[in-house]
Amino acid sequence: MKQNLIAEQRVMEEVKKAIAEGIDIDPGRIKPESSLMKDLGAESLDFLDINYRLEQTFGIKMARRTVIDHIEELFGEESAIDSDGKLTGKAVDVLAMRYDGYGDKIHAGMDMDELPVLVTVSSLAEGVESLLDTLPEKCSCGAQEWKLEDETRIVCGACSEPASFTSGDELIEEWLKQVQEDKKIF
Amino acid sequence: MIVENSLFTDKVALVTGSSRGIGKAVALAFAKAGADVLVNHSKPEGTSKTKAEGVCRQIEELGRKSVAVAADIGSKASVGEMMEAVYGWRGRLDFLVLSAARAPFKPIEKLLEREMKQLVETNYMGNIFCIQKALPLLEASGGKIVFISSLGSRFYNPSYPLGSMKAAMETLVRDCAQSFAQRGVQVNAVCGGIVRTDSFKTLRQYMDDLENIPDELCVSPEALADVVVFLCSPLARGICGQTIVVDNGLSNSLYRPAWAKKPKL
Repeated sequence: MKQNLIAEQRVMEEVKKAIAEGIDIDPGRIKPESSLMKDLGAESLDFLDINYRLEQTFGIKMARRTVIDHIEELFGEESAIDSDGKLTGKAVDVLAMRYDGYGDKIHAGMDMDELPVLVTVSSLAEGVESLLDTLPEKCSCGAQEWKLEDETRIVCGACSEPASFTSGDELIEEWLKQVQEDKKIF
Repeated sequence: MIVENSLFTDKVALVTGSSRGIGKAVALAFAKAGADVLVNHSKPEGTSKTKAEGVCRQIEELGRKSVAVAADIGSKASVGEMMEAVYGWRGRLDFLVLSAARAPFKPIEKLLEREMKQLVETNYMGNIFCIQKALPLLEASGGKIVFISSLGSRFYNPSYPLGSMKAAMETLVRDCAQSFAQRGVQVNAVCGGIVRTDSFKTLRQYMDDLENIPDELCVSPEALADVVVFLCSPLARGICGQTIVVDNGLSNSLYRPAWAKKPKL
């Protein structure tokens, strides 16, 4: 369910903080539209560090694998990236559906190494929000009241257990299966 | 650090992947021991470059010369250019430390073909490219090669395909040690335990409860770096083709009461 305990603005602030600390840069340089790699100089290891910081902050589990990885796991190797390392047309269709504004930035035949450049501060914040929005209606203890602890952690108002969110990988997988069922892309 | 700061005066070290982590600690340890250091990093732009330049500055503050060299070791051409830069810098190379590594964290059954290729290109072929291209310079100086391995070479780690490459490299270290000994080039490896570097930050996402390992069973990058310096010093002249485990006893600790969690009943 859509959670309303942590405001969008707060998520954005925490994402900026995680990036600033993860790659050791001045937070003032970080804009919502900044590309982590192109504008802020992040590398692949930095992404994992930033994700880890966000997981600690919000008690969520960020995706370990990309949408591309998941497509190939579900629909076979080379379904998203061909043998030359280029994006397939089907992968373009899926990514354009998944991420707003990707439509004009990606095309079939594009090098897969160019994809991480598209990750921006706001796309990361949206990822965090989508995980927080998997907050279940009820806690496993049966109580239906969530509260905020330490400003960013959602816990049960009755038993104080941390909320269990869907993991990033599960969320991508569920979404892909749904897309496949609706559109029969692969 | 017990080593004298004149141990490696006028000597030149190249440390691959030394913009951060263990490589960085090794680069600094060489500088403290008196060597000038080439700091290799993977990408010509971005944080790898900024961090490598930061390491160079730290080395210069220690009174040694240092230069950052961008090269993706998985590319033979790139390694060739790097070695030309090495030769062009001081005209010599005494120590080659192979610390660069890059790998996906995934269970083996989920590895894609391109990931396997990259795994082998960077962590096996890349090291061989470096050895091949550096060999003439190392022969000229009676140099040393030290490979940085990890306990993944011999023990199970979840989602750690890099371990199999480390095992391959430890074997390769034995082979090279024998065949290069007659040319005066000494080859060994250092196998690290749990080291709290940037890679550890990644690993903790894949190994539950990794953070519960107490500090006394972790090893610092500096402790590893000191053993690399030792292996490059005349004190280690009798060691050939060995992998020295530096893990604060982690791999010997079958009984781990401090962090073994009680199973939930």
